[in-house]
Amino acid sequence: MRRLGWAALALLLLCLGAAIRHPASAHEAAMAVLELRQIKPTQYIGKWVLAPTFDPGQIHPKFPRQCSWMDPLLECGEPGFVGPMSVDNIGSNLSAVMVHVIPVNGEMQSYTMSAASPRVTVLGLAAPTWQTWFELADTYVNLGIDHILLGIDHLLFVLGLIWIVRGGWRLTKTITAFTVGHSLSLAAATFGLIGVPEKPLNAVIALSIVFVGVEIARLRRGHAGLTVRYPWAVALGFGLVHGVGFAGALVSLGIQRKLLPVALLSFNIGVEIGQLAFVLLVLALFWAHRTLSASLPRWGAALPAYAIGVPASFWLIGRMIKLLTT
Amino acid sequence: MSSLSAISPARAAAGLGTASLLLLAASPAEAHIVSSRLGDFYAGALHPLMALEDLVQWLALGLLAGMQDPKRGRWVVAGFPLGLLAGVALTHAGLLPAPPRLFDGGGMVVLGLLLALAIDLPAAAVAGLAVLLGVARGSANIDGLDAANDVVLFGAGMLLSGYAAATLISAATLAFRRNGAGWRRIAVRAAGSWIAAVGCMLLAFALRAGVMQ
Amino acid sequence: MTTTCILRAARIVGAGVALLTLTAGAASAHVQTGVAGGLVSGFLHPLTGLDHLIAMVAVGIWGAQLGKPAIWLLPISFPMVMAFGGALGVIGVPLPYTEIAIALSALVLGGAVALRWRAPFWAAAIVVSVFALFHGHAHGVELPNAANPAAYGVGFVSATGLLHLCGIVIGAALRWPLGERLVRGVGAAIAALGCFFLYAAVLGI
Repeated sequence: MRRLGWAALALLLLCLGAAIRHPASAHEAAMAVLELRQIKPTQYIGKWVLAPTFDPGQIHPKFPRQCSWMDPLLECGEPGFVGPMSVDNIGSNLSAVMVHVIPVNGEMQSYTMSAASPRVTVLGLAAPTWQTWFELADTYVNLGIDHILLGIDHLLFVLGLIWIVRGGWRLTKTITAFTVGHSLSLAAATFGLIGVPEKPLNAVIALSIVFVGVEIARLRRGHAGLTVRYPWAVALGFGLVHGVGFAGALVSLGIQRKLLPVALLSFNIGVEIGQLAFVLLVLALFWAHRTLSASLPRWGAALPAYAIGVPASFWLIGRMIKLLTT
Repeated sequence: MSSLSAISPARAAAGLGTASLLLLAASPAEAHIVSSRLGDFYAGALHPLMALEDLVQWLALGLLAGMQDPKRGRWVVAGFPLGLLAGVALTHAGLLPAPPRLFDGGGMVVLGLLLALAIDLPAAAVAGLAVLLGVARGSANIDGLDAANDVVLFGAGMLLSGYAAATLISAATLAFRRNGAGWRRIAVRAAGSWIAAVGCMLLAFALRAGVMQ
Repeated sequence: MTTTCILRAARIVGAGVALLTLTAGAASAHVQTGVAGGLVSGFLHPLTGLDHLIAMVAVGIWGAQLGKPAIWLLPISFPMVMAFGGALGVIGVPLPYTEIAIALSALVLGGAVALRWRAPFWAAAIVVSVFALFHGHAHGVELPNAANPAAYGVGFVSATGLLHLCGIVIGAALRWPLGERLVRGVGAAIAALGCFFLYAAVLGI
């Protein structure tokens, strides 16, 4: 029994190490925005308005067949700049590429490509078709899933909530409250109703995880903290904060206003899909541990609190330093 | 209670089955898409789940642990993931060569026979098998790692997916065979004989490939 | 109790077959390479030869007819013996008269079902094991250079096991008087087919 405990401890420490090593910077995920401004009926001039951290020459966009791309000039034959385009080397250092097309007369159009859906159809001046909406939804649902799966700080917060609330109806209410909270603030931030600078925001997100870690430790000593008594309130409150964090990925792209509601909705759905998968996995593991009666030994009962609290404190300190020194 | 516990293992099994089928539908080439989309952590977590050699052996280990008394079977929960990590680390450091292909079939035959014959194992044997298989699979899966990948994240991903798979499969097996008729034990043992049979054929393929070289 | 078990088994088999057929359908639309290709070709191999197929089903029916412990010991031991035979075939160990032995297996197993031969368990085990070895060997020799051996093996073994379960499910009809006669009829049909295959095999020599 004691040896099993040691093995569990080793396992947890390793996860901890990996968690700290993980950059946890999904909100700062690299995006690149290419602006294509029409100068002649068949000619566009390209400019990286949001350049990636590396040389943009490494991004290989593929334009419709009738077009030829001589950076920064795009020359299109008949019927102009319409048809499928893609970026085939979106990698781990770049999560999405957005293209803004600005015609001489007419509205700006925007298209988003990501690793999961690297192909879009450029419309020209025509109105959006059902295919446009479908491509948009596909892209943003996947972006949302990626965003939550890579956002280890969000997942750690959710893990803390599950650890405290355990399961059943209370957990359903708590997770729903977190969802409502982050959906509201995600929408508000995306439409520009609220704006929070990124650095303090990230520090507060780290703080929320530290808070949950402390609550777990207190619970073990018999103090029923705020999260234990009103889990849904804590989930709602911090959900509002985390939602603003989610918005960072969307806002920095500067998507066309007409497409924004659908993009936002799809992105949110993606986030919920990822979150639900994570919650179900954690609950399945809880069930498995009960079934195998493989629980932590008494002396190791504090480990979960530390597993959640230590990386969160690490992030908090790091983000505070970043906040104060710049 | 009984209705609840009767549903959960079935649901768990269905979930596991669907998940592995979905993963199988993805070709090995897509493992690299995962890594470029979601990074090295998820590459490490998903790479082993995309090869049948891994899926069958992971399943066999989980089934075997689930057929033991939980006090002994639960050693896979820690043993297997730590073994995986050790395998990744040792092979990455150049201290351990990747296992020959005979190991795939051999592992299936050993685990499958233990299952089919319904042999009760002591805790040390469960832990030992889990660590051994972990080391072999961790070492074999290092081919999913490019020079550009971060080995710490890759190893951590594999550690966590090994932990989740071992825990879920053994718990689902335990719940499945514990509640209900005797035919459930038989079904798990029959699965073991199928796994041993697959391993037997794999051994033959590996032997023939060895002779032809 | 037994009924519900058998019904459950039938449901599981049905779901499995449906699933694999779906996978096969989806996979055959593409070029058959990699895991999907290996699974499909492995799965279809035991289903392509009628002589193999009827003998597998007969093993299941006979097991159901013999009752415990054969009904559950045969499905556990058969795949392993057959895979062992398959392994011999893959490596290239020769086994004489496989064609005749396979035809004979359909004849003997079908006959056993038709005549309700209540063999002692050890005798049944030996008969079935010997035939399993030949069946496995025949498959092993014919095996193409499987691109993905693991996938091929998984497909091959599951197809064999599912055929087996089909036999056991057919054997479930034993509980009704009419069903019993029907099952014996199926056995007779298998034996007759075995006769035909035996004739063909002997002429072929």
